[in-house]
Amino acid sequence: MAKEIGTARNRIDGRSKVTGTARYCADFAVPNPLYAQLVVSTVGKGHITAVDDKAARSVPGVRAIYTHLNSLGVRPAGFFGSGQGQAQQSWRPLSGPDVKFYGEIIGMVVAETLIGAREAAAALSFDYVTEPPAVTLDSPGVTVEPLQRTELSVGNVEAGLASAAARVEHTYETSANTHNAMELFATTAHWQGDDLTVYVPTQWVKGFQSGLAKNLAIEPDRVRVLCPYVGGGFGGKGSLFTWTGLVAAAARELNRPVKLYVTREQGFTVASFRAETRQEVKIAVGADNLITTFVHMGHELTSRPDSYVVNGTENSTRMYRAENIKAAASVVHADRQTPGFMRAPPETPYFFALESAMDELAREIGVDPVELRIQNDTDKDPVRGVPFTSRSLVECYRKAAERFGWSRYTPGIGSMRDGDDLVGWGVATSTYPTQMAPCSVRVSVDSAGEARVQTASHDLGTGAYTVMALAVHDKLGIPVDKVRVELGDSRLPTGTIAGGSITTASNVSTIDIACDRILRRLGNSDAGQVDIVAALQRIGQSRIEEYAEWIPPAVGEGGAASLRGDAVKIVGGAEKQYAAFAFGAQFVEVRINRFTHEIRVPRIVGAFAAGRIVNEKTARSQYLGGMIWGIGHALLEVSEVDPRTGAYMNDNIAEYLVPVNADVQQIEAILVPEVDDKVNPAGVKGIGEIGIVGTAAAVANAVHHATGVRVRKTPIRIENILTS
Amino acid sequence: MKPFRYRAPLSIGDAVKTVEPIGEGGQGGAFLAGGTTILDLMKLSVVSPPSLTDLQKLGLDEIRWNGDVVHLGARVTMAQAADHPMLKERVPVLSEALWKAASPQLRNVATLAGNVLQRTRCPYFRDNISACNKRNPGSGCSAMDGINRLLAVLGTSDHCIANYAGDFANALLLFDAEVETESRRGERTIAFDRLHVRPDDRPERETVLAQDELITGFRFTLPQWARRSHFVKVRDRESYAFALTSAAVALDMDGETVREARIGIGGAATVPWRAKEAEGFLAGKHLTESVALEAGRMAFAGATGFEHNAFKIPLGQRTVARALLETAAMDSAGTGAGSN
Amino acid sequence: MFSKRVSPSKGIDDTHAPKPGFSRRSLLAASASAGASALGSLGSARMSFAAPVPADQDGLVRTAITINGVEHALALDPRTTILDLLRETLDLTGTKVGCDHGQCGACTVLLDGKRVNSCFVLAVAADGKSIVTVEGLAHPDGELHPMQAAFIEHDGLQCGYCTPGQILSAIGCVIEGHANSDAEIREYMSGNLCRCGAYKGIVEAVREARDETREIGIGPREASK
Repeated sequence: MAKEIGTARNRIDGRSKVTGTARYCADFAVPNPLYAQLVVSTVGKGHITAVDDKAARSVPGVRAIYTHLNSLGVRPAGFFGSGQGQAQQSWRPLSGPDVKFYGEIIGMVVAETLIGAREAAAALSFDYVTEPPAVTLDSPGVTVEPLQRTELSVGNVEAGLASAAARVEHTYETSANTHNAMELFATTAHWQGDDLTVYVPTQWVKGFQSGLAKNLAIEPDRVRVLCPYVGGGFGGKGSLFTWTGLVAAAARELNRPVKLYVTREQGFTVASFRAETRQEVKIAVGADNLITTFVHMGHELTSRPDSYVVNGTENSTRMYRAENIKAAASVVHADRQTPGFMRAPPETPYFFALESAMDELAREIGVDPVELRIQNDTDKDPVRGVPFTSRSLVECYRKAAERFGWSRYTPGIGSMRDGDDLVGWGVATSTYPTQMAPCSVRVSVDSAGEARVQTASHDLGTGAYTVMALAVHDKLGIPVDKVRVELGDSRLPTGTIAGGSITTASNVSTIDIACDRILRRLGNSDAGQVDIVAALQRIGQSRIEEYAEWIPPAVGEGGAASLRGDAVKIVGGAEKQYAAFAFGAQFVEVRINRFTHEIRVPRIVGAFAAGRIVNEKTARSQYLGGMIWGIGHALLEVSEVDPRTGAYMNDNIAEYLVPVNADVQQIEAILVPEVDDKVNPAGVKGIGEIGIVGTAAAVANAVHHATGVRVRKTPIRIENILTS
Repeated sequence: MKPFRYRAPLSIGDAVKTVEPIGEGGQGGAFLAGGTTILDLMKLSVVSPPSLTDLQKLGLDEIRWNGDVVHLGARVTMAQAADHPMLKERVPVLSEALWKAASPQLRNVATLAGNVLQRTRCPYFRDNISACNKRNPGSGCSAMDGINRLLAVLGTSDHCIANYAGDFANALLLFDAEVETESRRGERTIAFDRLHVRPDDRPERETVLAQDELITGFRFTLPQWARRSHFVKVRDRESYAFALTSAAVALDMDGETVREARIGIGGAATVPWRAKEAEGFLAGKHLTESVALEAGRMAFAGATGFEHNAFKIPLGQRTVARALLETAAMDSAGTGAGSN
Repeated sequence: MFSKRVSPSKGIDDTHAPKPGFSRRSLLAASASAGASALGSLGSARMSFAAPVPADQDGLVRTAITINGVEHALALDPRTTILDLLRETLDLTGTKVGCDHGQCGACTVLLDGKRVNSCFVLAVAADGKSIVTVEGLAHPDGELHPMQAAFIEHDGLQCGYCTPGQILSAIGCVIEGHANSDAEIREYMSGNLCRCGAYKGIVEAVREARDETREIGIGPREASK
């Protein structure tokens, strides 16, 4: 039997997706549903003094109108970011008259029809007493909270800076971003007796199950969360939404299934987002161009009650050699919703700063930016002194440089101009910590020669369905098209949250255990060489099934308990006796019309090394998608907050710009081979997020090369480089 | 969305007769062409017409030529006009302004008349909440001190800085087009450059059309040299985005000297905008880069920038200059710029 | 010239004939429920064999639309968009809702052979017209439309949510004659956002399926055999 892992396989779920038969959460038909529509606040801070529901009630078919005056009694599920629960934020909508931010859920209308629900929601009106909200990092009235737990110090930074041969010190900023997955945040709740089925797009069916049980004060076993397909996650569907419990409670009260579509506009405020950051970076080098000192201080916006922090200094401090290191993050509490995960939450903003600063340093000391990074590569974690499980950064730079044609680079500003195009080249490092989590799966094989894998993990478009089928195939020799993979159902064995790029590493490691047990039971330990049908016949059984758990060793105590679904125990990165990271290098060409200064990226090459690649085809797509996200982060994406009100003024996807097809021309991801036998049994590193990391800095560095203008804030737009 | 009555009359006369006058809440019946503006605003509750009069059975969907005279039916779709071989050849700026707008799906339904009457993208108009003199006369303008990056720098008033969001009108403006209309009072012809009105102190009024007045078509005479015409659209992303600035240019050249120039400006003005002073300045000039930049400066001479959109003034100047130079570089067969 | 599967008959009876990929049962339920409710009954799955409500009773508008070759007689609240009708009344959920404002292309369908955003077209305005959705592309025997097959082969998708709209848009793009170069494909496929960033595979897929799609158009493969 030929091994399939490492080859390029089409998605096993491709057919269902191209024929429209793949059912996303809003696609499940339930009998005789009612339709809910959310109503959100139109002030940024204050409290509700009156509710006028007369017009809304007069809309034909309206069955219920919920506000804080008749809330559904949804109980807390605990704030995920505190480690004590599952919810996206620590407070619940409709729990009182206070308005904490613009666009907060303050009402929900339920009607017989979707059209009626929309009409009634538009007719529901509120009176408020308002106060001026503080909504930006600089607004008067925000409070700054330094987070001691993020402080990190090695050597003597002051001495390092004082004795430097050269140094750079700059402040960088990144903007608020909104996930804007193509799928709307729909939720359908259907009670059958005391049993609740909820169809909700989620990256964590088990967490949603636990949280909803708490919301509704029922046993978790009574709740089934179904989400076989997710229409894009990107972190935005990782923690329990505040409205899901409302929809379920309304369905219980009204004794009918209730279906909700959160509108695209509402998605900007009722869900989480990537908060804006401001970061100070200092890098000092000796006369040999080696980094001696690195300082990275982050400030991140968060909501009033929740101290949500991403703190990318955990990772930026592991990138390059340095003897003196200081880092910390603080949060700035403002009148906004609680931020949350968004693709490479810490690395995306923090590597914009780090990799921009590295480019500034290269300019300052006159060293080629690729060479500077190669010279400062390190074989041990600069903070703790432990080795990396594997680290192929230099190889990534060499491969990408060759493919990109970096040898033709001329460093002079504007030196590569081509006709009316100002041309710039830029590079940056990508990284993502390799993380894992406890996982359990059930694998069965039957006398028809078919296998089934079941786990409450998720495929967000990452290719997890296919990866798991490949893993079973390579262990048991069952053809890929005879492996049925079931994901996205809370009734299945606890899988992994689809976050932290942990899915493949954790699930494949666990599937391998289950398959080995099946092989042992069939009397054959030689993976892939067994005839399953014959073996089952031999033992006289039509089917056998194995359940397996895998607890990453670093999890320690509580790992097995976490498989009951209440908590997430993600480990990896800079922990224990090794530092585990994937690495990459990105090379970008920008072209900028010399008159009108539109910034375009006609060419981008990334090289990534991430251990064993299970499916080359879907892995490449993950990298490319991440790089395109990086282009968006660099040039387009910003949730524009009106500082007077806290309203997102571009709360739609005509004006919240993401890259379109025409923005992507030549784009290439190189898969650099890497064998890592230390990182986990599968030898796999996560690849879902690394592609976005560093891209924005590479673009910024290229823009500087083209124009001489250094833009230290994303997104970089025409007005930032338009010199008169 | 509030309920509305739907009808699809078979004649123009019926259509203009049945559309309700403005009544309660300032809302009157509305015409439905492609629907890409009206349905959008109805979904946002910005407008709530008591009825929609669907124009799809009225025809008005032909492009006709009579020598150099072109007649565009009001219901010709953007895609239909953009792909029309004669328009592409004889007046590329019109085709280009169309295919660079919106998306293929929208262009398949959106009509030329609907596109010309496209409403502003000002977020304070569209949110149905903020003070907005256009939506709620006398309530004030939240945009002036707000997130106004996409809004206008030309033709603004103390009451409104909402931008005109369309592209096609800024190109059509170059050819002294006439708008044909019909209402209960009969037919009339309006000069295209008189169709839209600046906000001044009445930003709620955007055109001279009466509420029951239906655009039936556009008519214009094409000079031979319209083959040398071109549309430059500057936007944050490469496609499917509104213009930050745009320039529609047609040039009558004698060698490298300009006989006559026509310049339309978009993305930066409250109404479709023609830069007549810059046009006059260019006549008889040898079109060098510095002359083109000077024309750009003249085109934005009266512009007023706000906190987030002041960059549109230098950007608009450069957009005009780029469009002039690229248009001049076209050969007289109209190729060499913007072909796709 | 477009969908080869549209029946020339306009009779209601024709809808009762079994059609590929669309069971008789679901068809009756869908047509009836839309007609039976005074409010358009979006999303109702109640079974009923009631005759369609006459036009203009309770503000409903009688509308006949052919969808994937099947004619539907409907009585609709005029506010119903084609998207609402497909998803909430007819359980044709392959057409996705991504913004409801014509900004993303996820709801793209072919209306009389032209790609449109179904969220931006009133269903009553599609009276007498023909719609093809993603459910109407593959041959009843399971053979995919070449554009569908090419999307799988080139991994022109990740999460798959925008994919039905991308595929219908891609077929429209080819039929319109705007798939002549990679640059043209990129421009004319820019009305379909893909947040996962599968654009490279999408362009490759359109390029590969272009010639065969030109030949067979929207219709299923049997048309070319």
